[in-house]
Amino acid sequence: MRVETVASVRYGDAQRFVPVVVGEFSNLVAHYPIFFSKDAQTGSFYCGAMLGIDEGENLFLTEGRTFDAYRPMNLQRGPFYMAGGDIAIDLDHPRVGESGQALFEDDGRPSPYLNSVINLFRDLKPGLDQTKVFVETLLGMKLIEPVDISLAFDDGSKRQLEGLYTINRDRLKKLSDDKVVELFHRGYLQAIYLMIASLKQVPVLAQKKNSRLAG
Amino acid sequence: MPDMIREIVVVGGGTAGWLTAGAIAARHQGRMKSGFKVTLIESPDIKIIGVGEGTWPTLRTTLEKMGVSETDLFRHCDAAFKQGARFARWTTGEEDDGYYHPLMLPQGFHQVNMAPHWLAKDGGRSFCDYVTPQGALCDDGLAPKTITTPEYQAVANYAYHLDAGKFAPFLQKHCTEKLGVHHVLADVAKVNQADNGDITSLTLKQGGELKGDLFVDCTGFSCLLLGKTLGVPFKDCSDVLFCDTALALQIPYATPDDPMASHTISTAHSAGWTWDIGLPTRRGVGYVYSSRYTTEEAATEELLRYIGPQAKGLTPRKIPIRGGYRETCWKNNCVAVGLAAGFLEPLESSAIVLVELSAKLIAEQMPANREVMDIVARRFNEVSQYRWGRIIDFLKLHYVLTKRPEKFWRDNTDPATVPGRLQDLLKLWKHQPPWFLDEFDRLEEVFPAASYQYVLYGMGFRTEVDPNDNEPTEDLAQQQAGENAAMTRKLRAQLPRNRDLLRKIQEYGLQPI
Repeated sequence: MRVETVASVRYGDAQRFVPVVVGEFSNLVAHYPIFFSKDAQTGSFYCGAMLGIDEGENLFLTEGRTFDAYRPMNLQRGPFYMAGGDIAIDLDHPRVGESGQALFEDDGRPSPYLNSVINLFRDLKPGLDQTKVFVETLLGMKLIEPVDISLAFDDGSKRQLEGLYTINRDRLKKLSDDKVVELFHRGYLQAIYLMIASLKQVPVLAQKKNSRLAG
Repeated sequence: MPDMIREIVVVGGGTAGWLTAGAIAARHQGRMKSGFKVTLIESPDIKIIGVGEGTWPTLRTTLEKMGVSETDLFRHCDAAFKQGARFARWTTGEEDDGYYHPLMLPQGFHQVNMAPHWLAKDGGRSFCDYVTPQGALCDDGLAPKTITTPEYQAVANYAYHLDAGKFAPFLQKHCTEKLGVHHVLADVAKVNQADNGDITSLTLKQGGELKGDLFVDCTGFSCLLLGKTLGVPFKDCSDVLFCDTALALQIPYATPDDPMASHTISTAHSAGWTWDIGLPTRRGVGYVYSSRYTTEEAATEELLRYIGPQAKGLTPRKIPIRGGYRETCWKNNCVAVGLAAGFLEPLESSAIVLVELSAKLIAEQMPANREVMDIVARRFNEVSQYRWGRIIDFLKLHYVLTKRPEKFWRDNTDPATVPGRLQDLLKLWKHQPPWFLDEFDRLEEVFPAASYQYVLYGMGFRTEVDPNDNEPTEDLAQQQAGENAAMTRKLRAQLPRNRDLLRKIQEYGLQPI
C-alpha cells in the first residue's frame, strides 16, 4: 500500500476553504485570508483559510506538483485522520493505492513519509483542541462578528461571499486591560492580529481570480 | 425622596410574574446601584396554572433583551418551533377543510396588497400559499431555521411552543441569578393600604412585611390585589366568545420519532375546538368548549375520539375559563398583568404576548414618582382596553365566518353576539380587502392587518374585485407571487426537518452570532 502525495484536483486538493489550526496562522498569513466559519452539520465555529473564491476552486494549486505556498495541515494529512487516540487511514481515499510513497521500510520500520505524518498529527491533534478553546474564548468576549464580502471582477461577474466571520475590531479596542493581558499570555493576541492582517490577502486572492477569469 | 418609585413588588410566580419582573429588572439594571429594587413574592403552596404553551415571535425579542440564551430555552423548557396555527374544520367542518394563519407577512406586504390579485385569479392555490412559503414549510414538517442560524434569528418567522410548567422555574433562575430580582416565598396574609387606597405593603403569613412603591398583580384568576383589594370589576365577554371550559391532556408519543408539527393545530368540534401542541417530549391537547352547548361527558368523549387510541386510560384535567378582562388594569399604584388582568380562550395564544406587551410598557414607562404614575396608568389602561377589544374582535372573526351547522356555531354568527366594530369591518371588507393602511395603525398592534387577511381568506370570505383597479399593480403583484414561489422552492430544499433540528440544538446548541 502506498500514498500519493502530489497536489491534485483528483486527490481532493480543490477546496476553497480549509479548516486550519491557530498554530499554523503565522505560516498562513503570508498567503491566505483566515476567517471563522460555521460547520454546516453542527453550527460550531472553526477557523479556515481561504484558497479560492468559488466552490471547489484552489487558486494555489499547480496540478500534479505542489502548492505555490504553505500547504495547510488539513491538506497535508492526505488520507490519514485521528480515530480516538490512533492515527487511521481511509482506504477508500483516492490517494491510497499502488503508487506513491511507501508507508513502511523493508524491515518494517515506519518510512520517512509515515514519520512525517506522525509528526504532523503531533501538531494537528492538539492544534484542533487548542483552536476550539481559542474560538470559545473569543466568542465569550464577543470578539467575533459576521462579515460580508462583495467582489466585482473585470469580466463583469460578481461574487457575494457569505457565512464568514472575523475579529470585531471595535470590541477589541474596548477590551479591559485584564482581558488584553489574558489574551496576550495565552498567545491569542498574536493570533487575533494575524487574522486581522490576513484580511489583506482578500484583494490578492481576488486578483488571482481576476487573472484566471481573463484567461 | 418619599414618593420616588423605587421598590417594585411583583406578586405571583407564574409566567406573568417572572416575565414582568425580568423585563423591569433588565430595563432598570443601571438604577439598581442606587436603590431600585424588584422583588417577586409567590406562595409556596398555590400552584401556577401550568398550561400555556403557545407564544408569539415577540417572545424572542423579550427573552433576548433579558439576556436569556435561546439554547438554554430549548434545553430547559422542552421548547419547539411554532410557525403559526392550522385551523381545521372551522368553515365547513369537512375533513379537507383547513387553512393556515402563518407568522410570516405576505410577500411584498408593504408595497402591494396581494389579496385583490389573489381574489381575481388564484390559480387554485390558497391565499397562504400564494403569498408566503410558511404553509408549505408546515406541511413538510420543516423547521424555520438551521443549526448555523444564530440564536433568535429566523429564516422563516417563528415563535415557540414550550412546557409551561418548566418555563416559570427557568425564568426564575435567570431573573434571580442574572438580573438581581429578589425572591420571597411567602403567603400574603393581608394587603395594607393608605387612606387614598394605594397599597403600602403586604403582611406575610410567615411573618414580616413587604413594602413597595408599585405592586404588580400576577396572582392569576384570583386577582388578589386589583380585584379583591382594590375592587376593580371583571368585564365578562361570554356574550361574544362562548367557551367556558377546557379539558386538558398530555399525551406521550408512541416513539421518539412520531411526527411533531411545527405549528399549533386547532380543530373545530361540535361545541368548541381542540388545541394540539407538539413538544419534543409529549403532546399537549385540550378541548375548549361551551357548557351551554354540550355536557362534560360528551365533550370528554369528543376529545378522546380526536386523540384516538393513544388517549386510552388518560383523564383530562378540567379548567373553568372565565372569558373577559378588567377594564381598568392599573388602579392607584397597582397594575395587573397576565390572568389577573383577563383571559380569553387561547385560540390565537394571546395570553403570553399580552403579558410581554404589558411588561414592556411598565418597564419602559416606569413612572419616576407617584405623581406622574397616574398619567402612565391612564395610558396603560387605554392601550389595554384597546388591545383586549381587538383580540376579542379577532377571535370572534374565526367563528363568525363559519358555515358549520351545529347550534354552537349557528349561534356564533348571530349579529347580536358580534362586536359592532367587527361588524363594520366585515361590511367594509366585502368591498375592499384589508391591508396595512387599514385601521390597524398602532405602533404595536397585537394582530396586524395581515392576520385578518389570513383568516378571512382562509375561511373563504370573498371581497369584490375590480380588475381595472388591479391593473396598475398587476406587474408588481406577479413579480411578488413569483418571488414567493421561488423562495418556497428554495426553503423547502434547504430547511431541516423539525425534529432533526431540535435534536441538533439539544446536542450542539445554537451560536450566539
